[in-house]
Amino acid sequence: MTSPMTLSDALPGRAIASHIRIGRLPPASAVIPCLFLVLLILAAIEPRLFTAANPLAIAPREAFQPPGPAHLFGTDQSGRDIFTRVIYGARQSLLLGVGAVAVSMTLAIALGLIGGLGGRITQRAVGWTLDVLFSFPTLILALLFASHLGNGIGPLIIATGIGNVPGYARMVLGQVVSARHAGYVEAARALGHSPARIIRRHILPNAMRPLIVTVTMGIGQAIVWSSALSFLGLGAKPPAAEWGTMLSMGRDFVQRAWWVTFFPGLFIVLTTLSTTMVGRYLQRRLEGRLP
Amino acid sequence: MSSVTVSAAGTAAGLLSRRRIGSAGRRVLSRVLAAVLVLFASATVTFFALHLTPGDPVRAVLGGPTANPSPATIAATIAEFGLDQPLHVQYGLYMSRLASGNLGMSFSQRQPVVDVIAAQVGPTLQLMASSIVVAWLLALASVMATTRRHPLLQGLGSALETISAALPQFWLALVLLAIFAFGLRWFPPQGNQGALSLVLPTLALALPLAGFLAQVTRESLELALDQPFILSARTRGLSDGAVRWRHALRHAVLPGISLSAWAVGSLIGNAVLVEVIFSRQGLGRVLYQAVTRQDMPLTIGVTLLVTLVYILASAAADLIFVLVDPRLKAQHL
Amino acid sequence: MMTLNRWRQPARTTSLLASVGLAALGAAILPAFGADEPVKGGTLIYATDREPTCLDPHVDGDMPQVFIAQQYTDSLVSQDKDGNIGPWLAKSWTVSDDGKTYTFKLRDDVKFTNGEKFNAAALKANLDHIKNPATQSSTAGGYIQQYVKTETPDEFTAVVTLSKPYAAFLEVLAQGFLGIEAPGALARPRNENCETPVGTGPFKIIKWDRQSQIVLERNPDYNSAPPTAAHQGPAYLDQVIWKFIPEPSVRFASLASGDVDVIEAVPPESEAEAEQNPDLKLIIADRPGNPTNGAINTTRAPFDDIRVREAFVRSADISSALDSVFFGRYKRAPGPLSAATPFATPDFKSLYDYDPERANALLDEAGWTEKDANGIRQKDGKPLTIHVPIGDFQGPAERSLWEQIQATAIGTGFDVQLEPLGFSEWLDRQATWNYDVIPEYWNTNTADVLRIVLSSEFLGAAGSGGYHQNASGFKNAEFDALVNKALETQDPEARRKLYYDAQKIVASNFLQVLTFPQSTRLGVYKTAKGVRLEPSLSVTTLYDAWVQK
Repeated sequence: MTSPMTLSDALPGRAIASHIRIGRLPPASAVIPCLFLVLLILAAIEPRLFTAANPLAIAPREAFQPPGPAHLFGTDQSGRDIFTRVIYGARQSLLLGVGAVAVSMTLAIALGLIGGLGGRITQRAVGWTLDVLFSFPTLILALLFASHLGNGIGPLIIATGIGNVPGYARMVLGQVVSARHAGYVEAARALGHSPARIIRRHILPNAMRPLIVTVTMGIGQAIVWSSALSFLGLGAKPPAAEWGTMLSMGRDFVQRAWWVTFFPGLFIVLTTLSTTMVGRYLQRRLEGRLP
Repeated sequence: MSSVTVSAAGTAAGLLSRRRIGSAGRRVLSRVLAAVLVLFASATVTFFALHLTPGDPVRAVLGGPTANPSPATIAATIAEFGLDQPLHVQYGLYMSRLASGNLGMSFSQRQPVVDVIAAQVGPTLQLMASSIVVAWLLALASVMATTRRHPLLQGLGSALETISAALPQFWLALVLLAIFAFGLRWFPPQGNQGALSLVLPTLALALPLAGFLAQVTRESLELALDQPFILSARTRGLSDGAVRWRHALRHAVLPGISLSAWAVGSLIGNAVLVEVIFSRQGLGRVLYQAVTRQDMPLTIGVTLLVTLVYILASAAADLIFVLVDPRLKAQHL
Repeated sequence: MMTLNRWRQPARTTSLLASVGLAALGAAILPAFGADEPVKGGTLIYATDREPTCLDPHVDGDMPQVFIAQQYTDSLVSQDKDGNIGPWLAKSWTVSDDGKTYTFKLRDDVKFTNGEKFNAAALKANLDHIKNPATQSSTAGGYIQQYVKTETPDEFTAVVTLSKPYAAFLEVLAQGFLGIEAPGALARPRNENCETPVGTGPFKIIKWDRQSQIVLERNPDYNSAPPTAAHQGPAYLDQVIWKFIPEPSVRFASLASGDVDVIEAVPPESEAEAEQNPDLKLIIADRPGNPTNGAINTTRAPFDDIRVREAFVRSADISSALDSVFFGRYKRAPGPLSAATPFATPDFKSLYDYDPERANALLDEAGWTEKDANGIRQKDGKPLTIHVPIGDFQGPAERSLWEQIQATAIGTGFDVQLEPLGFSEWLDRQATWNYDVIPEYWNTNTADVLRIVLSSEFLGAAGSGGYHQNASGFKNAEFDALVNKALETQDPEARRKLYYDAQKIVASNFLQVLTFPQSTRLGVYKTAKGVRLEPSLSVTTLYDAWVQK
């Protein structure tokens, strides 16, 4: 639930920065997270590649087995294998992360373009709307929407996504405004290109490029977010293997069975870490190719 | 280079204080007007959002397991809350009372909203302030110590920041509790008396925020260190420390500053979790209960306060921005 | 104030913390463990999970309110462990033959802590206050809906008239929810009385710091202890600090370290540890009433068919689920009345045993014969889906319990959908009958709870969008007649027979998935002695408690 906003404001001019930098990170720091993400995506597509067990099969007598050869990550309060649940959880959690960011970005781009390219009044109206939205604590915004949407993963995606719109929209707006006044846009305009084409070919790509890291980090943040909603008793529908929900559900057993919360938490952190590192690497590559 | 600074400033300083030439008075006035409008809008949005939510506040106050209110009791409560009026009348009544400074009576807390807020605002502001300060200190320490140093050091700093930013607050809070309160017994596990009780809740909120601010600041510090004016400073024979602290940092902190205003709003939401775990008094818990119990006057009251804090924080951020940014300073002063 | 933050201070910390210097002092005095003579004076720190929204138990009426009320109010009558009614503020009483008039002889030597005298007028003021719609009383008010008026022929005689015979009247009067408060204090605006209510009890409310604690002080003139108490006269403790620590692990850790003397709601995962720790003691008692359960909605398909209801009840392996989720600390409820309720019988427990074979046979018989790819049964192309709203007030352990019910029920072909909701929406689903099973419980010290949660009188339409207490929608004339007959019956053995038959009907109609009884679970640190539960609702009383620090 920290912010999905990241480097945006930091790098408004990056898109047009002319220096070329060679990736400072040694390739391993991009390769390892990439590999992790690939495995995760594989797990999301076909979890049975990694485990033969059933993530929902309970075995009350096997509850709270510590990590060991039989259960790599131990078992939970219902005797379910946590490793299996973490693997199966990849699908819901990634879907949640990617979905929520997609919802946020779609709305944010719409607001950002309207605000950034409209006239003075439109621009102000959008800025004002964002100010209003910003004034709602993110969690409360999500709660207000969550209650209208019902429950389960879909509404959770939308609620989490909407909760983060103001942050993203602010960033997009900043990027669009700075791209709009950039030399290449002036040049395109002078060449008589249509506004639609200018938006599509120049403004959007240049405005979006610096947001890649933000978006990739946002995926992890959205998963963290869902765990906060689960903490408050909302969140994904049981018995879904969703990391945030698993993390929060283990809270009543943390003194006797730390592993119930530890492993889902570990995967949230690793996923966020990986998406961020890959995002950074991609960003550097993209910048390196700029004229 | 100039585009970097100017657009960063433009974004951060927001749409309210673009580089308009005008008297300071006019700028202040328009800002205040905008602020009032924002407050009005957020009260309105909250009012209708809560009314559209399924359920009704009377049940939330009188219902639940082991509740058996008589029809007369329910009717009396509906009338007391004014919920028997048409929605537009309720809205009009509420807004006119609000305009005269009356925040009304909380349905669920059985207290005037003002009293609820007055009792809880202190600990929350304290927690928010200490979290932001600590987050900045940690972020700056990490960034200044590791950016553009030995690759290993740099990698370490960057990794720590990324990990911090990825930590779920309540998980972090429980881990901090287990280690420092239950294990080492350095800090009390609960309550909000004394400076020591503030340490763990602050860390739980500040660490993720620090990771986030550090990432932003690191990127812009790297950018700044590549700029021509840094090269020229170096050729003038300034030491590395002087270059970093006096010249580069000034540019590097700008985006983080503008984000800090936003962080204030986000901290309130996160405060819900931290306040519950550490049994702290605070508005976060109040706000969460108010929303889930559809306690309209209390929800609006707290939301208005958060809005106000956000507006003030934005203004403060803009001010700091101007003070820190050499270019804007030249323009404004 | 120095006792507020009394965690022990490690020797190596140089302290900023002079404010908590008492900790050092406390550590210097070696605790003498095992002394049995009550010691006068001192402060006991009590930590609980939930905070009341009003300290007056008449208003609304949630469990946290009755716990605090037990410390500062007395009740009109008392109730012992076996359910027998004894005197308290009433010395004696008579019931008219038609069961509609109760005449109470009151004690003439009791004063409220604000100086007002307790008398018949005070009792009248209390019953009138509870009945008054403006009080917003959901619990106490609900229990005395039959109340008509109180007359006061002399200062210490009160004649209470009811609209109908109500044999449970004395039982509910023994509950802290109907604790007696000072008439002058009750006359203030409701919200003011919520903040600083006044009783005749062993302690008085001094200050309520919201979301933090309530401070109570001894009532030095206390002379009205109930016969259930271990001593007479004023309480031993000078002061009680009643803290709110919502997070279970924090609450338990605060107890284990001695930062607090007593905690309520010991987390199940820590109970075994507490038993092994020589510094700690557990006090556990079931609460009377209808145990925690999932009420089965009989008003719509598929549970309008008794065979499907029984199949569902027998598909749920409650005992195994309780053993794993609650570490073997919670036992399955014996029937629709928890064992602590007067007239409860365990005779029908086996009807609720896990029996998937029988469940399968019943479902086949009921026509749910087809199965889809996931093993979910179908009938006329419709899947056997069960919607269960889960409220945000149900913690992870209770959710896990329902996950296991879900997992065992799928074995017989039920598709159980657990739907996490905020409090208001959960209530909305309840009010609109939009559920197949809804988790609930009802704490009260009388078998009359059966009438409230299962008779047709409580099917709702009580205004405000139809909030109803009978969540299963059960409508059975024979049952209604039994529970109403029981209210007209004063003879205990006759009542027992009537309630036995009523429990039989309830059990054999499969109206609730019974899980565990509600319970009070205290953890007591070695510094605190004499802590006990008032039997009427198994609520903590600190009247007999003392501290040795």
